[in-house]
Amino acid sequence: MLYREAGDFKTSYRADQQTFPIRSERILFWAFIVAAFAVVPFFINDYWEKSVLIPFLVWSMAALGLNILVGYCGQVSLGTGGFMAVGAYAAYKLMTAFPEMNILLVIVLSGGVTAVVGMAFGLPSLRIKGFYLAVATLAAQFFLVWVFNKFPWFYNYSASGQITAPERLLFGVPVTGPNSPPWATYLVALTVVFVFAWIGKNLTRGRIGRQWMAIRDMDIAAEIIGVEPLRAKISAFAVSSFYIGIAGAMYFTIWFGAVEPTEAFGINQSFRALFMVIIGGLGSILGSFLGAGFLVLLPVLLKNLMVGQLGWATDIASHFEIMIVGALIIFFLIVEPHGLAQLWRLTKEKLRLWPFPH
Amino acid sequence: MSLVETLPASQRDILLKVDNISLSFGGVKAITNISFDIRVGEIRAIIGPNGAGKTSMLNVINGFYHPQEGTITFEGVPRPRMRPHHAATHGVARTFQNIALFRGMSTLDNIMTGRGTLMKRNLLWQALWTGPAEREEIEHREAVEKIIDFLEIQHIRKTPVGRLPYGLQKRVELGRALAAEPRLLLLDEPMAGMNREEKEDMSRFILDVNSQFGTTIALIEHDMGVVMDLSDRVVVLDYGKKIGDGTPDEVRANQDVIDAYLGVPHE
Amino acid sequence: MSPDFLYFIETVLNGLMSGVMYSLVALGFVLIFKASGIFNFAQGVMALFAALTLVGLLTGQVPFAHLIHAIFGVEAQHWGAGMPALLAVIGTMVVMIALAFLIERIVLKHLVNQEPIILFMATIGLAYFLEGLGDLMWGSDVKALDIGVPSGGSFWWEDVTREWAAEGSDYFGMYIDKLDVTAAIVAAVLVVALSVFSQYTRMGRALRAVADDHQAALSVGISLRTIWVIVWSIAGFVALVAGIMWGSKSGVQFSLSLIALKALPVLILGGFTSIPGAIVGGLIIGVGEKLAELYIGPLVGGAIENWFAYVVALVFLLYRPQGLFGDKIIERI
Repeated sequence: MLYREAGDFKTSYRADQQTFPIRSERILFWAFIVAAFAVVPFFINDYWEKSVLIPFLVWSMAALGLNILVGYCGQVSLGTGGFMAVGAYAAYKLMTAFPEMNILLVIVLSGGVTAVVGMAFGLPSLRIKGFYLAVATLAAQFFLVWVFNKFPWFYNYSASGQITAPERLLFGVPVTGPNSPPWATYLVALTVVFVFAWIGKNLTRGRIGRQWMAIRDMDIAAEIIGVEPLRAKISAFAVSSFYIGIAGAMYFTIWFGAVEPTEAFGINQSFRALFMVIIGGLGSILGSFLGAGFLVLLPVLLKNLMVGQLGWATDIASHFEIMIVGALIIFFLIVEPHGLAQLWRLTKEKLRLWPFPH
Repeated sequence: MSLVETLPASQRDILLKVDNISLSFGGVKAITNISFDIRVGEIRAIIGPNGAGKTSMLNVINGFYHPQEGTITFEGVPRPRMRPHHAATHGVARTFQNIALFRGMSTLDNIMTGRGTLMKRNLLWQALWTGPAEREEIEHREAVEKIIDFLEIQHIRKTPVGRLPYGLQKRVELGRALAAEPRLLLLDEPMAGMNREEKEDMSRFILDVNSQFGTTIALIEHDMGVVMDLSDRVVVLDYGKKIGDGTPDEVRANQDVIDAYLGVPHE
Repeated sequence: MSPDFLYFIETVLNGLMSGVMYSLVALGFVLIFKASGIFNFAQGVMALFAALTLVGLLTGQVPFAHLIHAIFGVEAQHWGAGMPALLAVIGTMVVMIALAFLIERIVLKHLVNQEPIILFMATIGLAYFLEGLGDLMWGSDVKALDIGVPSGGSFWWEDVTREWAAEGSDYFGMYIDKLDVTAAIVAAVLVVALSVFSQYTRMGRALRAVADDHQAALSVGISLRTIWVIVWSIAGFVALVAGIMWGSKSGVQFSLSLIALKALPVLILGGFTSIPGAIVGGLIIGVGEKLAELYIGPLVGGAIENWFAYVVALVFLLYRPQGLFGDKIIERI
């Protein structure tokens, strides 16, 4: 398997601007996708589903959304947890109000609801920038979690204040609720994430993506050459919240099945998503996946190592985990501010020239 | 040659008219009561010593600053309190004194961004990509490639602009402005910090843009030789006031201009 | 005076007091931001870390006791004796200075000339690291902190204010915590001391020079790295003071680090670079929050103090993006 672009000539602009311009990369990508869709479902078990794959997919979705806002459009948001909560509660209200509604439609509509909320909270970005905006998005975080705690309508007046996902079928197979088989929930999550990753790629490579990046790199110049800040910023907030809302809806429906806002959608989740984006790579679709994979796998590995192998108490392990995550953030920012995706790009650059680097 | 181009600059139609513009920042007057016009197809230079209000003038023209007094009339329509992106969609493009490229993007993407005002497909088509959005993208890519050829920057098409040397960055910035197919192009010191060879290249591009595309150009420049050679008419500012206006020869003979440049003390 | 009016005064007073506490934390942010342009998200965790260390030294805890137990099986929680309060405070300060030194060495040195937002995210990483480290060193249980700061309600004040109420009304006097009063005094002293330091000492001048322009300061021979260590040490000291006050008030526990989140709206209001802004902003938020809880809270079901400050700050920001004490922003190109 050689990584070569020699002889791989482009004869049209269409071929020149495709996502994977090099043939071997294309083959690798599709092989990976086929394996994910056609092989993994046969081997998946409960542990892999609930501890690794579903968390990975759900967080990838959230990281994708946040990356569109932070990495592409340059608007730092600390409200991810709150927007995930909007997605989750929208899904709950839709599922209970319209029991017949297809679960995929529920998930997408929840994203739509979150997009509207996100646009509202994105409006301040027209006046304020940088840190001030980051702090302003915390207002969204605290306010939204408070709303879902305070108004019983959102949790259908249940005594515990929790929301619980009722069982819903897709092609006759339960995909939410306790009876759903691991392969089914996995395939639903994978399909949703695959489709929206593709859409994300499309949006970021076209006119709108360029306008987002223009705002990110130099907002004043962008406005002067014809990028309307209102449209660019609000559309980034809308698309980003749409993705995060879908992540929240999946978090609730097919991952946990029952959530309570303070814990599940607290500010720590906002930071978590932000870390994924930083570690994975700001402004990179692939990076969102790498970052999510890294931060989902790291605690699993650490836990296996420290609790499973060394026999330490779980609280020591979790303290270590926080320390390591923090240290890694700093490490990545120092060594490679563009994250894992950039490391991958550099490796590819090297591979292209290998074995004749000069 | 069209009829317009054969007429001397002072007799062509007025493209942009600046009327009694005054601009101040909290008591500091940047521009005081300035009027001049820019006619279709001409190269109009704005010169003056440092701090004369030249860049502020460009900022007023494309709506980045809003003057306290006076009006801007573009193509016969007064444009009060216009936002910069409106100026861009109505055919005013510009480059910047300190390079303001999008550093995280490639040369191609920078120029394509300049093309954004001409692209119409909305978010949903973009999300789908295949079909109209892709066709539109390719159509505009072809136009952008023409600009890339014109500016002779084919080899840096996919290079992130942050890595380019200064002279090339200036050229990419010109390309980004041209991509919008502007009717009025504002150039803020297009040759600052360049060596002789680069200046000659840039002058050639500016003249070619003017003659090949018929684009009207307003430029700020410090190199008097370049200004006098390139421009059809020159307006001279000093301390936010207009002190001279006319052909290069007229301006050169103007006593106020000579004083301003040789530094006669102000009363 | 009617009891209602007295309740109002009591609320305002308590708001002012808690505002001072917010200002204490905000002060640490402002110091670092002024001198290095870094928005130090870890300020709250630094307060927690300082308080944890102080309690550990006071009570004679063995650091990393749980970890040592887990690895070596040695059970050693306490040295047997604690330190006297003054010594423990000094010891904690030494730890905070060492921390500032390490932060400069390991983190900041490598991030010079990075964009502010990258530095901001690095401090979020730092916050996580310190939080984990603090818990690992001293354990994550809730600890009481008592170094003799007066606390509890002031009976004297209660008696005085009861007199103010109209004859025959069942008003029992105002409640004011002595701890809050102490905190207010400490904060005032701190602000005066910091102002004097930055106005009249050579080091203070260097600090202001760096705040104004990094490059220019470097070119006249000011060592940026030394300055950063000093600034972070001072911020560590402010964190220690905040940690003592908040720790004495509500115990030393994880939630202490969340006071940083309380300080953020204060910063928005007052501006990131203004010390008076931090104080006034803190007071406004403190009073606003208490009044809102009293008058708006019952209408919407209470518990609004989590977000009220943010919304106030946000609305204010939309109206005046440069903050209370900032200059009008003129954009250039």
